[in-house]
Amino acid sequence: MSRYIIGRIGQALLVLWVAFTAAFLLLQALPGDAILIKFQNPELGLGPDQIAALREAYGVDSPLWAQYLQALGNFLAGNFGYSVQGSVPVSQELLANLPATARLAGFGFSLAVLVALGLAFLATLAPFAWLRSAIQAIPSLFISVPVFWLGIMLIQTFSFRLKWISVINPGEWEGLILPVITLAVPISAPLAQILMRNIDEVSTQPFVAVARAKGASPGWVLWKHVAKNALLPTLTIAGILFGELLAGAVITETVFGLNGIGGLTERSVRFQDASVIQAVVVFSAACFVAVNLIVDLLYPVFDPRLRKAKGAAA
Amino acid sequence: MSLQSLTATRRSALKGLAAVLLASAIVSPALAQDTPVQGGTLIYLEQQAHTNLYPPAGGFYPNGGVLNQITDKLTYQNPETLEIEPWLAEAWEVNDTATEYTFKLKPGITFSDGTPLDAKAVALNYDIFGLGNKDLKFPISEVINNYDHSEVVDDLTVKFYFKKPSPGFLQGTSVIGSGIVSASTLARPYDELGDATKIIGSGPFVVESEKLGKELNLKVRADYNWGPDKFAHQGRAYLDAIKYIITPEDSVRIGALLAGQADIIRQVQAYDEPQVNDAGFDIFAPGTRGVNDAIAFRPDNPLVADVTVRQALLLATNRKEIVDTLFSSNYPLATSVISSQAAGYIDLSDKLVFDQEKAKALLAEAGWTPGADGILEKDGKKLDLTVYVSLPQPQNEGVLQLVAQQWAQVGVKLNVLAGDAGSRTLDNLDPLKTPVVVSMVGRADPDVIKSGFYPKNRDWLLQKGGSSDKVASFVDDKLNGLLESLASETDSAKRLAIAGEIQGYVLDQAYIVPFFEEPQAFAAAPYVEGLQFEAVGRPSFYNTWLAAH
Repeated sequence: MSRYIIGRIGQALLVLWVAFTAAFLLLQALPGDAILIKFQNPELGLGPDQIAALREAYGVDSPLWAQYLQALGNFLAGNFGYSVQGSVPVSQELLANLPATARLAGFGFSLAVLVALGLAFLATLAPFAWLRSAIQAIPSLFISVPVFWLGIMLIQTFSFRLKWISVINPGEWEGLILPVITLAVPISAPLAQILMRNIDEVSTQPFVAVARAKGASPGWVLWKHVAKNALLPTLTIAGILFGELLAGAVITETVFGLNGIGGLTERSVRFQDASVIQAVVVFSAACFVAVNLIVDLLYPVFDPRLRKAKGAAA
Repeated sequence: MSLQSLTATRRSALKGLAAVLLASAIVSPALAQDTPVQGGTLIYLEQQAHTNLYPPAGGFYPNGGVLNQITDKLTYQNPETLEIEPWLAEAWEVNDTATEYTFKLKPGITFSDGTPLDAKAVALNYDIFGLGNKDLKFPISEVINNYDHSEVVDDLTVKFYFKKPSPGFLQGTSVIGSGIVSASTLARPYDELGDATKIIGSGPFVVESEKLGKELNLKVRADYNWGPDKFAHQGRAYLDAIKYIITPEDSVRIGALLAGQADIIRQVQAYDEPQVNDAGFDIFAPGTRGVNDAIAFRPDNPLVADVTVRQALLLATNRKEIVDTLFSSNYPLATSVISSQAAGYIDLSDKLVFDQEKAKALLAEAGWTPGADGILEKDGKKLDLTVYVSLPQPQNEGVLQLVAQQWAQVGVKLNVLAGDAGSRTLDNLDPLKTPVVVSMVGRADPDVIKSGFYPKNRDWLLQKGGSSDKVASFVDDKLNGLLESLASETDSAKRLAIAGEIQGYVLDQAYIVPFFEEPQAFAAAPYVEGLQFEAVGRPSFYNTWLAAH
């Protein structure tokens, strides 16, 4: 097992280096660079001589390999450099945005899981066929609601009209309610869809028929026999969705004026702020790797067959 | 337009009527009858987070909105008269050739870190603003030209020397980019000044805390006692605190204001104004008093090298339709190169007429004939032009699309591109790729014209030897000569005359098509009193107070 983990960590480091290098090369391929965008900007009104002097001071016209080695060396030494656009150390930008993203993504994802489980169970257990199919249609509705529109509607209704929740200057938890709902709706949809399909599939299996024949109630069968087996594929999708959430909440962040890695990424890509992008890319890659590792390690917990397989191999 | 009448005209209909009745004579008493209240926190919704708060970077509106509260300047430009009045400096002298400026500072001024704001501190600021600093990567301030060195005469007297006559410098000491900061701020590298807590000024407010990119808290400085001399209000500011909250989404900013969750918001689009007015809230749209919101041509591009073609395009632009369709009365139709509120303005509306037939005739005269697809052609080349949308300009994409429709009617194609920042920046340096560029710059001094056109400044027209190495040959020596004499003429009447001459020349050459006088639009709750804007439209909250509500 420990050998397995060391192998995975080695893989992870390789992934991180590839991500770093790919981001560096892609940025070089884009027209212009951060220094040009920042200082050729009319708002500063700099003349050509001054811009040339600044380009030299920042060393942006030095050879590619030199820039790459310098960036990589700084990165390994834990020096992420400065955001050109924001004029603060990249580490400060990350610190300002990471906790906000972690909170939003964490709560949004948890709510999405609860909603998905609720929908899937209701769709199986609801008394009438028409009601079951109505519930089954809800995920399609959720997935087609534009996040932008949903966020604005929630704000207009609950903040501006009913005045229940403040969006400007809210309390720490108050400020999370609407964004978490906005984020959870589209994330819950694919989870619920996959869960429903898997529940349907598992329900046709012989062992379920046996359980039913023994006189188990539908709720018992669903909880004890079907759900456990139906959860496994959902877990994989959940891992991917959670990874996407870390950088993908940009619309929700913009609508609610929240800090977050999504908005930071969008801004730094727009301004080709290389140091920030490098840090975000490596960070996101690290998150993906970690989440997938956790998911892989969780499989045996949910499925005893996988535990046995490992034992047999060892 | 005075601040009071500006406020009054934006009130709801009933209040508006009352204000109109009062406006002619006794507007001030009508507002002044309420005594200012001390205390309270102003909630200010900004569209974008501030970036670098090095004072010369204050041109970016969100930066200016912060710097104006936490820094003071040597002089104050009265936004109504455009006169330069004492502020940190109680007196000054300029020599006859405008190469030596001596400022006498008020005694007892301190930065918020307790260090004195004395001649030494001022000299340090101007040495960096005027010369830059390569090690710390500080760029030069756009408003300071020909700076040579400073001299600390005594504790409160500082003298600046210039290589060439620099009559624009006095006004330059009053602008948003000339806020004085402490030595500790300027000892940090440029790359760290995006952190507001590092900016130590002497202003009426002090940065208390910041959540980077989301929220900025200023608190009042209780011992502040060095506001501009001519202000009736002296001593500390009325407000206890200002809270800036970044709210990028337009509808959320306006909704929050109307729902009572905020007191003032920046960036209100013209199409949202009725909603704000109907709710009894106020729109403030101070002008930016510089070169108007416009497009400029790059004559190095053969398609627009011929002055007849440019004149035809100027005639083919229905500027009134643009303003009427997209904007409100807060966006006055441009009547010259610079704003009618700008120093040195002359009315050139007769050079800015819309005449489609004449435009067609001029294009035909220049040898352009309609091709099979209706687009004009000459020597096998189509009159097909490209321009990039400029994000800071209000509804710029809409403006350019309308221009494209209008030019299409005379057979000229205009491609309006959004593009990423990198491509936009690079292409805008290449006259062949962008024969047209969006241009606008605010500053209440005639030097602003030079800022826009001079090849060593913004170089809108892209001249050879200027900002781009892609220019083949275009140079306008006459224009450059006029711009140089504008920047160095020490006789103020002559200087304004030169400014007028340049405006006429630029329009005769049809170098630009000016659309409207660009304001910065704010909306505020009716109980926000005493809002002020500096000469280029940045808000100042020193005199602001919150009435009972």
